[in-house]
Amino acid sequence: MREEQDTEMESAPIIWAIGGGKGGVGKSVLSTILSFWLARMGKRTVLIDVDLGGANLHTLMGIKNPPRTLNDFITRKFKSLEDICIDTEAKNLRLISGSSEVLSLANPHFSQKVKLINHFSMLDADYVVIDLGAGTSFNVLDFFLAAHEKIIVLTPEPTSIQNAYIFVRNAVYRRLSRLCSKSPSLQPLVKIAMDPKNEFKIRTVKELLQFIQESGGKDAAEPLEKGIGEIRPVVITNMVKSNKEKNAGRIVQIVSEKYLMIQSTDLGSVSYDRQIFAMVSDMSPLIRLDQSSHAFANIYDVATKLLKD
Amino acid sequence: MNDRIHKRNSLVNRIIDGSVTVDSVTKFEDLLKAFPNDPGLHRIYGDLLKKENSPNAAADAYGTAAKLFIESGMTLQAIVSKLFEWQIFKPSQQEEQAFCSALHQARHIDRAVQRFFTGMTYPEMMAFITKLMLENFPAGGSVKKFGDEENTFYFVVSGALEETEYHRLETGGRIRKKSTRNLIENDFFGEIYPFGEENVSQSDIKTITRVELAKISKSNLINICRKNPNVKLLVGNLHKSRSEFVEKKVTRTVRKTARQTLPTQVNLKIFQNETGKVPLDLVGFTEDISLGGARVVLGTKYQTGHADNLTGKHVKLKISLPTVSVRLSILGTIVWSKKVYFEGKNTAVVGVQFNEMTDTDRRVLEDYHYGSAGEQNLIWSLWDSLMEK
Repeated sequence: MREEQDTEMESAPIIWAIGGGKGGVGKSVLSTILSFWLARMGKRTVLIDVDLGGANLHTLMGIKNPPRTLNDFITRKFKSLEDICIDTEAKNLRLISGSSEVLSLANPHFSQKVKLINHFSMLDADYVVIDLGAGTSFNVLDFFLAAHEKIIVLTPEPTSIQNAYIFVRNAVYRRLSRLCSKSPSLQPLVKIAMDPKNEFKIRTVKELLQFIQESGGKDAAEPLEKGIGEIRPVVITNMVKSNKEKNAGRIVQIVSEKYLMIQSTDLGSVSYDRQIFAMVSDMSPLIRLDQSSHAFANIYDVATKLLKD
Repeated sequence: MNDRIHKRNSLVNRIIDGSVTVDSVTKFEDLLKAFPNDPGLHRIYGDLLKKENSPNAAADAYGTAAKLFIESGMTLQAIVSKLFEWQIFKPSQQEEQAFCSALHQARHIDRAVQRFFTGMTYPEMMAFITKLMLENFPAGGSVKKFGDEENTFYFVVSGALEETEYHRLETGGRIRKKSTRNLIENDFFGEIYPFGEENVSQSDIKTITRVELAKISKSNLINICRKNPNVKLLVGNLHKSRSEFVEKKVTRTVRKTARQTLPTQVNLKIFQNETGKVPLDLVGFTEDISLGGARVVLGTKYQTGHADNLTGKHVKLKISLPTVSVRLSILGTIVWSKKVYFEGKNTAVVGVQFNEMTDTDRRVLEDYHYGSAGEQNLIWSLWDSLMEK
């Protein structure tokens, strides 16, 4: 593929966040290879490891001991995120390594998160790819919700599908709770309605919004509906071994639409690739992956689709 | 690049579920070259050719779809494709027999609907399937409403629906939802059996996705059963399996590894081992909670004592889940603890094993972890429909 340098006007980078609830579904691998493709397409890209409790993205880039980490920025050793970016062997691709060392960093204050998110937007890059940690902690959800492109990775296993759906559900709850914090009168209403055993038999977000509309007026429900409508995740099924397995993302898509009013896009699948496992075990840089690999090609497809968005 | 693998997912599934329409025969032929063994695609191709007034080619496409559906063990879908083929060209008796024989000989997925169709002899099957009518509904459509007369039996050929059952008032009106369940391909509905009962619908049935149904009227079914007692027996079995199916669907959930890492506020009362000592009252939040226990970060108020001293102590937790208005009350034991630095101060994180909670609290906690029964059932219905080998 021809390498080309973009000459776009200087503006804030577009942020892609990659999450999905379950550990081991390939979020970091996908983040790394997506970033690699962006860089190969001439997009100046920064890959950030936000798995604050268990950062390991640097190992996938073949870096054993990152000289600087996000912790150096949080603890104010460096004033700018630019100072902690590490060059990688791929042109146009830089890395900000996370830190597993300091537990306090795994629980940053909300203000620290806001600061971090603001600084991501100030990076001198076209794209910022954030590799979120596993789970659905507020950290993960807040970074996910702040991104322009919200990417959910899952594998074709029941527990992974379930976790991916719960991830979307928690993102919706988090958004609702943030929205409600601005209008306290709504908080008890939302809480009662979201109780799975509530006497009003409200089972979906749509029913919840109807309930709020009837209880608190149209004006109260509208911002909530708008806020939820803005969460438009894309779903990628990873480690697929058969045609049927490609439908895993579709399940999350259908259930999220029905219960949460979330319009997600099933962006396709990435084939299971034994070579990736071998490279991760050997700590070989993933960007050296054989480009005839199906998974590599699938992720290229995903990248081009996201760019067209 | 393996373009094929990726495109199959993003395009073919959408063509089959109706969210993408390909209206060019040439484009469809290209797709079929790439995915020659996809029965659903051949079936849609047949529909396109029929619309384009190419009956010969349409019949061929339906025939191919039927053959591939049989090979996949999808009897109902094979029958529907064959019926479309036969609508174009009336079959000979030999062709009918060959088709029925192929259905009987094919490998089957053990489902009630497969047992129903393959339990029929050739004449019984022909008597039955020639009375089937096909009907399509868009997503969000209504198939049946509470109070409608039950005079039709439906099979789900493709797509997903939701059935919401209501409690019925003596006046005929409805009150409160009783239950909801999802219906997917190869499921069936319609309370028409036993034939002597005049039923009205106790539920609303709406489509979740685009849906194709095969239906037969109660009067036609009664006529067929009168002439073919074996079919009546099979209808009875189908009715019986529906009751079992409903029960299974409602209770089925995954209870494997799910746990919640959405922080949850907790009030802890830590009981001291020494008698007469006042329990420690603390506030914290769970970082990780499952049905068996929780990892709780104590608030910064806990700054005294060594973290190890907490291990083995009994605790009472009051947990405020973000999604419910009630607080859960759980008794447990601290099984490990360690010192941490949180929000600029020293505190402890403790692992609490749950010992006692009420059944109600357990159900609330289960819903919090796994989603409601409706969410779980839909995930599993779709898993069965889209993923099961």
